[in-house]
Amino acid sequence: MNLIFGIFLLTLMLITGIAVVRAKNLFVATTLMGIFSLLLAANFFLLDAADVALTEAAVGAGISTVLFLSALSLTAEQEKPCYGGRLVALGVVVITTLALLHATLDSPRVGDINAPVHQHVAPWYIEQTPILIDVPNIVTAILASFRGYDTLGEVFVVFTAGIGVMFLLAHYPHKKPHKPHQGLRHYLIQRLVGRTVIPFILLFGFYVQFHGDFGPGGGFQAGALIAAAIILYALIEGTDTALTVIPSWLLTGMVSGGALLYSGVGIAGMLMGGNFLDYSVLASDPVAGQHLGILLIELGVGITVTGVLLSIFFAFASRKHF
Amino acid sequence: MYLAVALAVVVTMGLALIRALLGPTVYDRVLAVNMMGTKTVLLLSVITFAIGRPDFLDLALAYALINFIGVLAVLEFFRKRSELDPENNTREAE
Repeated sequence: MNLIFGIFLLTLMLITGIAVVRAKNLFVATTLMGIFSLLLAANFFLLDAADVALTEAAVGAGISTVLFLSALSLTAEQEKPCYGGRLVALGVVVITTLALLHATLDSPRVGDINAPVHQHVAPWYIEQTPILIDVPNIVTAILASFRGYDTLGEVFVVFTAGIGVMFLLAHYPHKKPHKPHQGLRHYLIQRLVGRTVIPFILLFGFYVQFHGDFGPGGGFQAGALIAAAIILYALIEGTDTALTVIPSWLLTGMVSGGALLYSGVGIAGMLMGGNFLDYSVLASDPVAGQHLGILLIELGVGITVTGVLLSIFFAFASRKHF
Repeated sequence: MYLAVALAVVVTMGLALIRALLGPTVYDRVLAVNMMGTKTVLLLSVITFAIGRPDFLDLALAYALINFIGVLAVLEFFRKRSELDPENNTREAE
């Protein structure tokens, strides 16, 4: 059953992808990208990758559409016609496709027990997670503890990306603009539905943040969800009101504070006699120390992701009052 | 039974995609994207029960909550655009 649905969804994705490339109107391309992301998340879900599907849900469905549209409001709606170089592009695409198709012939079947990925370190993770870390979601154990270095690197990548966008786009006006940005405040239905939904998104975001050890989710997904709730508030009440609720100094603090918290937990482990990012020494009991460490670093991830996503959104929005 | 429901949802997704591809107006596409989101929520819910893991319902919940934001962003985009350029707010040239 999964195979049929997978093939069907992949076919729809292929059609959507070609349509995105073919679309000359950038607004159409943006809406089609939204559909592409929905189909992608459904595919991740069919492949049992619940954590990745949740990330795609939080980022793809909500935030990337908003960011694409705010970028689009700063530029023209039609794509510039482009001439020449098409045969070269086609050649590159065909060669890459053939190479990828050739490579898929060697790849093991989905869920094959003899696949190299299931032979290398995966059995060790599955055996040791209940003993060393004791959380039901092995993905969280791998992401936050066993491969804590990689996740620290990811957080710094997110941090760097946020700083880059702020350097390029952010400008904070010194005086108040003549006409403050109103948002959709005067539209009754949108305002009522939005105000009803925002607390639930926030609650769900905190649930994903603190329940990540037990179910799908964690800092990345929760950060995207909480940022989505605040972006919704900014869309309804206007950017200026949202910036008084969450001032820009707080956002800057969140962007760097989360990454600092993560590295601080690593250094605390060193000071208490362990290795960098070794959480076992943080409490008297190694398993309790692991729980504490995972909770703290997930919090750091969540804070940085929320801060970066909101900074990017406000950087776009305060340029031309999207 | 779950299979039949999932198939029906998938077929509806295909129909919504056709509407999103053909257009012709902005409203058709916005509605198609919104419908696609709703259908994804339904598909995920049906599959969670079909494979017997209702705890994955979290994902469908995330979609149901987030879906609204994209539509609001589109509305805001066109409100701004029609303020700047009242002539060309809903027409699209291809």
